[in-house]
Amino acid sequence: MTESNVALKWYRPAEVEALKYWLAWGVAVNLLVLGGESLRGDPQSIQLTAWGCAALLAARLLLPDATHVFKYWLCLSAALAALLLGLTAFANSQGTLYDIWARTWLIVPSGVALVSFLRPGTIRWSLNQLDVAGAQVGLARNRRMTPLLESIGTHSMLLHGVALVVVPVVWILDVAISPGNALGGAIGDAFTWEHFVAVTQGESFWLWTRNSLTVSLGTTLLGLSFAVPAGYAFSRFSFSGRKPAMFSFMLIQMFPGVIILVPYFMVMKTLGLLNTSLGLILAYSVTALPLCVWMLKGFFDTVPRELEEAALLDGCTQVQVFSKIVLPLSLPALGVTALFSFLAAWNEYLLAMVFNTSSDQYTLPVGLASMIPTNNQLWGDFAAASVLVSIPVVVLFILFQKSLVQGLTLGGVKG
Amino acid sequence: MPYLVALLTLAGVLPAQALMSQAPYPELRAVDDAQAYRRIRLEVQAAPTPETAAYQVWFSRFPFERTQDAELHTIIKVGDTAGLTRTPIGEAFEDCWSDGLPIPRDASGMPVIAGSAGGFTCALSGMLPFTDYFLAVVPVNANGVSLAGGPLFPIRTRTDAPDLRPAEPDTRPVLFALGSIVLSLAILLLYLRWRDLQAGRSNARLAHLYIAPAMIALAALTFYPVLYGIWLSFTDANQTHLGEHVWIGFKNFGTILDSAGTARVGLFTLIWAVANVSAHLGLGLLLAIALNHPGLKGRTVYRTLLLLPWAIPGYISVLAWRGMLEPAGLINAVLGTELDWLASPNSARTLVILVNIWLGAPFMMMALSGALQSLPRESYEAAEVDGVHPWRQFLHLTLPSLKSIVVPLSLLGFIWTFNMFHVIFLLTRGKPDVAFGEPGATDILITYVYDVAFEYGNYGIAAAWSVAIFLMLFAFSWFYLKQTRAIEAIR
Repeated sequence: MTESNVALKWYRPAEVEALKYWLAWGVAVNLLVLGGESLRGDPQSIQLTAWGCAALLAARLLLPDATHVFKYWLCLSAALAALLLGLTAFANSQGTLYDIWARTWLIVPSGVALVSFLRPGTIRWSLNQLDVAGAQVGLARNRRMTPLLESIGTHSMLLHGVALVVVPVVWILDVAISPGNALGGAIGDAFTWEHFVAVTQGESFWLWTRNSLTVSLGTTLLGLSFAVPAGYAFSRFSFSGRKPAMFSFMLIQMFPGVIILVPYFMVMKTLGLLNTSLGLILAYSVTALPLCVWMLKGFFDTVPRELEEAALLDGCTQVQVFSKIVLPLSLPALGVTALFSFLAAWNEYLLAMVFNTSSDQYTLPVGLASMIPTNNQLWGDFAAASVLVSIPVVVLFILFQKSLVQGLTLGGVKG
Repeated sequence: MPYLVALLTLAGVLPAQALMSQAPYPELRAVDDAQAYRRIRLEVQAAPTPETAAYQVWFSRFPFERTQDAELHTIIKVGDTAGLTRTPIGEAFEDCWSDGLPIPRDASGMPVIAGSAGGFTCALSGMLPFTDYFLAVVPVNANGVSLAGGPLFPIRTRTDAPDLRPAEPDTRPVLFALGSIVLSLAILLLYLRWRDLQAGRSNARLAHLYIAPAMIALAALTFYPVLYGIWLSFTDANQTHLGEHVWIGFKNFGTILDSAGTARVGLFTLIWAVANVSAHLGLGLLLAIALNHPGLKGRTVYRTLLLLPWAIPGYISVLAWRGMLEPAGLINAVLGTELDWLASPNSARTLVILVNIWLGAPFMMMALSGALQSLPRESYEAAEVDGVHPWRQFLHLTLPSLKSIVVPLSLLGFIWTFNMFHVIFLLTRGKPDVAFGEPGATDILITYVYDVAFEYGNYGIAAAWSVAIFLMLFAFSWFYLKQTRAIEAIR
């Protein structure tokens, strides 16, 4: 086989390759849109979307392959049909953001298909009239086009993800700054601080914050003071009972918190620890304990033993070695573990709700959730309080994302 | 003390309907001098028509005109009471009377009055003291359709009765058990230390001291409650006699299997977990691959934004979704529809799953993204040179090397999702209701167990559920790990 034949055999326009994926996604998205349209119940839009979806599917199935010439013409007409249907649907729509998005998913894939099919190079290739020189030019062009098309695809996928993620966030920001209980409607049409003022001047928000801070800080301190020595012992010493003890920590992780909810509640009730911060602190420190111990053991394992042995030879006691060498070296790890227990306690809802029946012991999660009972919905105030609570937490999560993900998967993944 | 007796006659207010025989709207009276702590005693004078199949008691803390704005408290069936037993007061969860005697109850414990009865009285439980409540009684036909017609006129009432606590339960057994656990663990650790000293392992002198606090905390606050929970599941413990519960064998487990809705809630839990975990992994993988695209611009911005659902406290996102799904909320505004998304069972089921997918995908994206980065670039370059199609690269290079993280991650995700409480609790609370005393349409096992324990006060049955769930999860994990042969990787 000569080099030129290879070029002809391998060449396939980058657009056609990309359209394989884009048209398939277009069909999937339009099926989704079809669902949305059937909820709206406008028969005309339903029909337009359905036909458009069918046309895209036809275009996807009939993508030209340089052997069957008829496919080119059929695919071209299908794309044209999809484009026209998309434009008609767009003209018919109410012009909301959703409409624009939905129609874009009909217009853009079919439009791209049309444009690329009308390019001379693609026409010649699809009609099987390409010569070797043309194929070589095409291959060179593909080298430029493929990364471009790929990155367009990646970006549009990521942008869709971002849009889905951001909508509720923008919504809650908007509710927080809109007067009254504006749940729907335009984003950013009015501005007021009234909800923030109402929340920060009310007593309950600060009460909940104080309760949450007490519980979370207490959990962090108590949890760490349990976990640090245990993690160190598991990392450094071989002693009788080490394996069963470590296994028991593993086992605990298999008890999901909710399973022990009822007995937990009864034990706390008998001990008179319901409606106290101490009850929650104890419960949270113990629930987070196995994970913290495992995380810390992992971190201590990375501190070189030679340092400690040298210090021991120099006459340090074991306690001194721990407090003067190991602890300072693993401060970052301690910070992450502390952050982990803090955030877990800060965001916990179920135990806080079950253990605290009196409203002056509410933590932030229970308190915020109590702002939206069945009828008296303080959405504006809730949104303002949520924004205040979320911002520091979100910042912490984003700063320490990698360590936190590592910590959470540690138990299951590395063991 | 003067008591206000609210007596509302509502029968005359309602419009008469020609075709349907209008069930007379029952007369309600909250008996103020009989209110007990957290109970409001309601006297209902009713004259059921032949169409009346039941009376529903609805309540809310706010005035309401439609039952949609209130919560269903109790259902009193109208039917043949011959052969039914009158359960003594205090044995059923809700105390009710008819004809001055405890109300007859059918096999499932539901109160029944005869068609000829003049009314009934119920001490409605679960009412917060010093709080106004609105109560309405609605006659319904056999299909559950209201026979009242027109708006409801609830009466306003409250209980100010102080908390007459039952005698404090005997806490000595619990304290004794906790004490002996702590003591025996301490002795065990001391013994182990002594053995190590004998064996001459001197470098571990303090090891047992180091692990002692953690071990003791774990034993007292996790192992003991678990064992206690297992014991509870074999007892008749409930809200009314805590501390005096006795062993009843496997009866609670029988109750679980027999009770209506068990199969339904189990099935939905399974659908919930499987749908969520697969969507989390699928979307997470898709986004992770997109994020790892070489030469992607704005990677940090994308990653930070995509992380938001994971970073925002879960309860806040869930409540935000609830607000957006309100009839007046954003979703309807964007779509141009006027739907009550969470009102019908299937749309509510779909939406709780979608919201949880939204919440969980970013974490999987992060976890998988880390794993993707650690894959060797060279093999991809080699594949590239050999002209291996990207899809085949994914199938034969990426997926196999991700197996070691996907298997434990999916198991972890399954357990987490199975026990994901706050999403359903805050989004729908298990509603829409299917039938009284049964799990709601969107209830999963965990939210249903919560209701059994803390709404109905059946601690024993709830504990039995918990044990059953734990056994299910344990069995599942074991089979899953065995099937995927990753058990070595885990240990």
